[in-house]
Amino acid sequence: MSMEKSVNRIEEKLAAYIVENCLPKNNSQFIEYDKNLFDAGIVDSAGLVSFICYIEVEFNISVPDMDLLPENFASIKTIAHYIRKQQKVAG
Amino acid sequence: MSMLRKCLVWDLDNTLWDGICLEGNVLVRPEVVNAIRELDKRGILNSIASRGDEETAMKVLQENALDRYFLVPKINWLPKSQNISAIARELDIDLGAFAYIDDEEFEREQVAFMVPGILTLEASQVQNLPFLSDFTPAEVTKEASERRILYQTELNRKREKQSFASRKDFLLSCRMKLKVRPAEEQDIPRLCELITRTHQLNTTGLIFARDYITEILAQKTGSTKVMVAELEDKYGSYGIIGTAIAEEIPPEWILKYLALSCRVMGRGIERAFLCAMLMKASDAGLLRTIAEYRDTGKNRMMRALYQMTGFKYDESQSDGEILQFVKSLDGLPEIPAWVKLV
Repeated sequence: MSMEKSVNRIEEKLAAYIVENCLPKNNSQFIEYDKNLFDAGIVDSAGLVSFICYIEVEFNISVPDMDLLPENFASIKTIAHYIRKQQKVAG
Repeated sequence: MSMLRKCLVWDLDNTLWDGICLEGNVLVRPEVVNAIRELDKRGILNSIASRGDEETAMKVLQENALDRYFLVPKINWLPKSQNISAIARELDIDLGAFAYIDDEEFEREQVAFMVPGILTLEASQVQNLPFLSDFTPAEVTKEASERRILYQTELNRKREKQSFASRKDFLLSCRMKLKVRPAEEQDIPRLCELITRTHQLNTTGLIFARDYITEILAQKTGSTKVMVAELEDKYGSYGIIGTAIAEEIPPEWILKYLALSCRVMGRGIERAFLCAMLMKASDAGLLRTIAEYRDTGKNRMMRALYQMTGFKYDESQSDGEILQFVKSLDGLPEIPAWVKLV
C-alpha cells in the first residue's frame, strides 16, 4: 500500500497543481493522468512555462529548453515519467 | 466608535417596506428609496438578509426599481447572522465593516451577539442614514459611485467561471474568433506598439523600426510578409493582438518574428495564430517551415510553443544568437477546438 502511494505521489502533486491553478473552481475536482493538457485547454505555452517553474522547484530538477517536447509535457503521466527520469540523472 | 461602513444589510418586512410581504400589499417609503440611492452613490454597498420568500420579495423590489441596488441578497429562513456571514464571504468584505438595519430588537441583538463589530440600527433611523458618520466618506470619488457595478461584474465573472464543468467548456463558451490577415498601412501604429511592448510572447525581442514595417507593406509583391491577428469573443473585440513577419522563399516559409499581446495569454491563442499561418503556407504550396527564435530571458514560452507544436531545433543552422526550428508542412498541428478562424 505504501509503495503504491509513493509511486503515485508525483502524479498527485502535479494533479493538485493543475486543479489549484488551471481548472474552474467546482466541487468536483478531477483530472485524468493521461489527459492531453494542451488539447483540453488546461495549459498553453505560458501556462506550461509557469508549470515548469513549479516542477523545477518542487522536484528539485532542471528542465533544459531542449526537453520542452510533447512526449515529455503532454499529460500528467508523461510529465511524471519525465520527472522520474531527471531525478535519476541527477541522483 | 463610528467607522466608515462598507455594506449595509437590510431586513425587509417593516424595515425596507411597511407591511409583511407574504401577507399582502407592502409600501416602500420615499425616505427608504432615498437612503438606498444615497448610500449607493457614496460607494456603500446594500444587501439584504431577511426572512421570507425570495421570489415574492424580489418581485416587490423589481416593481419599485430597487432590485439592482442589492448585491447577493439573502431572503430565506436561515438565521440572519448566518446570512450576513455569507454576504461578507461572497463580497470578500470584513464583517466588522458591516451595518444591519431591522425593526425587531430580537434580530438586532442576535446579529450583534453573533457578529462582533457590526453596527446595528433600528428601522426608525432610516431617514437619518445619510447623515450618520458611519455612512459618510470623507470624499466621494468617481470610483466609489461605480463600486456596486464593479462588485457586480466581478460576481458575474466568478459565477460564470464556476458554472463550467471543465476548462475546455469555459473556453468554448467564450466563442473566440480569430482573424489572421495581411497587415495594412493603418495597422502600423498598433504593430509598433505590439513590437515594443510585448516581451513574453515574443519570439526574438527584436525591435523593428516603423520605417522598416512601412517599407515591407509598400512592397506588395516582395517575399517578406507582415501578418496580423485580430481576436474577438462574446465579451467584445480585442482588436489586433498579434503580429508576425515571414519570408516566402519556396519551398520554404520562414517565420522571422512572432509576437502576441499578453492580454490573450492562457487561452492558446498563440498556438491558433501559428497554426493558421502554417495552414496558409501549406495551402500556398510551401513544403517546409523554419521558425527563428532568440532567447531574451523572458520568452521561454515561445520556444515551448514551437517545440510543443512539432518544430525541431536545428543546431546546424543556428548561430549563437538566433536559433532555428524546422518543421515539415505536411501534417499540421491542430487549431485549439475553442478558437474559430474567420
